Amino acid sequence: MSAPFAAKRLGKELQKISNSLPPGIELVSADNFEEWLVDIRVLDDNPLYRNEIYRLRFRFSSTYPIEPPEVVFVKLPDRPIPIHPHIYSNGIICLDLLGHQGWSPVQNVESVCMSLQSMLTGNTKNERPPGDEEFVRGNRLRPRDIEFYYHDNDV
Amino acid sequence: MPPPNTPVDGTTTPRSTQPSQPAQSSQSSQSASRPASSIIMDASQVKTAVVKMDYQAIDYVNPVDETLICPICRTAFHSPITTPCGHTFCAKCINRALERQRVCPIDRQPVDKTRDYRPIPLIIKEQLDRLEARCPNQGCDYVCARENLEAHYERHCEFTPVRCPKPGCDKLVARHLCSIEGQCMHETTNCDFCLKPVTFVDLDAHWEQECEAAFATCPDCGASVSVVNNSMLKHIQQDCPEATAKCTWEGAGCRVTDKRRLVREHERNGCMYETVGRLLEQQAEDRKIIQDLTRRLASLEAVRDTRRRGRRRDSAATINDRSAAAVAADGTLANPAASSAPLADGTTWESPHNYMLAQFERLESQMEELREMVCEMDMRQSASFLHHSQQVADRFLELGDKVGVLSMHTKWLLNMQYMQRNAQLRAANAASLTAGAAGAGNVGLSGSSDGGHHGGESSSGAGSSSSESGPRYQLGGRRGSEGRIETLTRL
Ligand SMILES: [Zn+2]
Ligand SMILES: [Zn+2]
Ligand SMILES: [Zn+2]
Ligand SMILES: [Zn+2]
Ligand SMILES: [Zn+2]
Ligand SMILES: [Zn+2]
Ligand SMILES: [Zn+2]
Repeated sequence: MSAPFAAKRLGKELQKISNSLPPGIELVSADNFEEWLVDIRVLDDNPLYRNEIYRLRFRFSSTYPIEPPEVVFVKLPDRPIPIHPHIYSNGIICLDLLGHQGWSPVQNVESVCMSLQSMLTGNTKNERPPGDEEFVRGNRLRPRDIEFYYHDNDV
Repeated sequence: MPPPNTPVDGTTTPRSTQPSQPAQSSQSSQSASRPASSIIMDASQVKTAVVKMDYQAIDYVNPVDETLICPICRTAFHSPITTPCGHTFCAKCINRALERQRVCPIDRQPVDKTRDYRPIPLIIKEQLDRLEARCPNQGCDYVCARENLEAHYERHCEFTPVRCPKPGCDKLVARHLCSIEGQCMHETTNCDFCLKPVTFVDLDAHWEQECEAAFATCPDCGASVSVVNNSMLKHIQQDCPEATAKCTWEGAGCRVTDKRRLVREHERNGCMYETVGRLLEQQAEDRKIIQDLTRRLASLEAVRDTRRRGRRRDSAATINDRSAAAVAADGTLANPAASSAPLADGTTWESPHNYMLAQFERLESQMEELREMVCEMDMRQSASFLHHSQQVADRFLELGDKVGVLSMHTKWLLNMQYMQRNAQLRAANAASLTAGAAGAGNVGLSGSSDGGHHGGESSSGAGSSSSESGPRYQLGGRRGSEGRIETLTRL
């Protein structure tokens, strides 16, 4: 194989994304096939997320899309970490779609963004996951090495 | 799509007496739309591709329909399969996905790669085959139907990576760079101009982009001109606007000699000798054609003569019967021209090898055509079968309806008969009651209602006895029920 599978697939995705993206999703940078930055915002009037834009960082392994990408929210002066019972305050997301079990190779950057968008839209709880503080203090693992227990898959 | 008689044309070897045959065969070898240079390529240059063509790198001329795109690699399917749940993926893609999780990536139904893969419908395969695809090699802009692209890539494309011509070097190099036998294109050489070390593979790029020493200033116009491959000389002789040049029509007698841009202006304003020059050009061309024709005629005559001689010898030696010999000679007279048709169709083949190569290509394209035709016929047949079976089903429905209507009518008719009979019976009973004894009349009444019931539903067979009196009605009733069975079977 002349170019890695992941690069070819991401090239295709980039081609499509740079033509059109759903509302509320914006590609910030995609200079290589290892790391992309995407801004998302919630479209409805959910008071928890109103007027805020959130920055997502995608990291792709060479086995993408067979393996899921690593997706986290990153904190910047104008980009907070959204409050949500499945999002730790360090930006790590606990979403079964992004885990090894829930991921499917037919997913892509766009569909992940849309899932996160709707995950925020549907949320009414102004809270972090249980044990957030300890987790953020104690965790040294990469997100993909954490085995989350997806207790509540309907969010 | 050619008419159905083309394959007959195509499968005949170039042995035909029709004069149109040479033209046709040359046309069909062109319709393979391959550059002529690839046909007459030197045998040593036809190196096979080392790396398989990468279908995912193919660029398509038109946007590919979403239904033909693999959801995993997001490119048009390559040798796709369908899962039992009805989802289609490239075999390679689904294999990779199943290595991790043995479920369909779309609906998570369990999939077992060893027994669950199904072939895709022919119609999808055909759509994929027909996609207009661009050669994935960088630098090549060849476009063809996707099913033919692999052949281009494997055997013809100048940019396909092949093994380095030097034995022992296992690096790859584009086919068009393999011009020197045994020369490793990965060895470093020193640039002729700047003396920096450069590998052979990169030499062209180096000269074009990096090497400053490969450029010099033109003494006449002052432009910076590449000195590679005598391009400075070419510049001075053909392009430089300040270099001295002669009028194009010098051969016709024009004596104008000046700086090139002035000479060009002179030509644009209309050189006096232009008409003469053009005439001379035309004449030269005609002469060339005449020479060519003479040469061809000579070769044809030579072929014919050898044929004739050979045939005469044959017929003299083997056949004593004079008339038989005459027939044989007659039959062969028309043939020499035909059997040399491939020679005469405008291309002179430099070697039998080239000829065979061209023939091979032609056959290949004919095979392709045949295949397409078979597919089309298959499609047409299944379509007409569907159509016919639909018609039959429609007829069945119609017949069923008719039968329903008929049975309704029968029921109605029978009912009517029964009513009539009842009315008759009642009238007869009334008559017998007034006429006969009261006891006998009672029996007759109960019997008649019974027998009348059966008879009413059946044929008129019982009708004859209906007007008769009391005790006989039992019998009439039985006969009536037999009659009913009869009518049913008749229906
Ligand atoms: Zn499926
Ligand atoms: Zn695929
Ligand atoms: Zn090519
Ligand atoms: Zn080499
Ligand atoms: Zn140089
Ligand atoms: Zn010049
Ligand atoms: Zn002139």
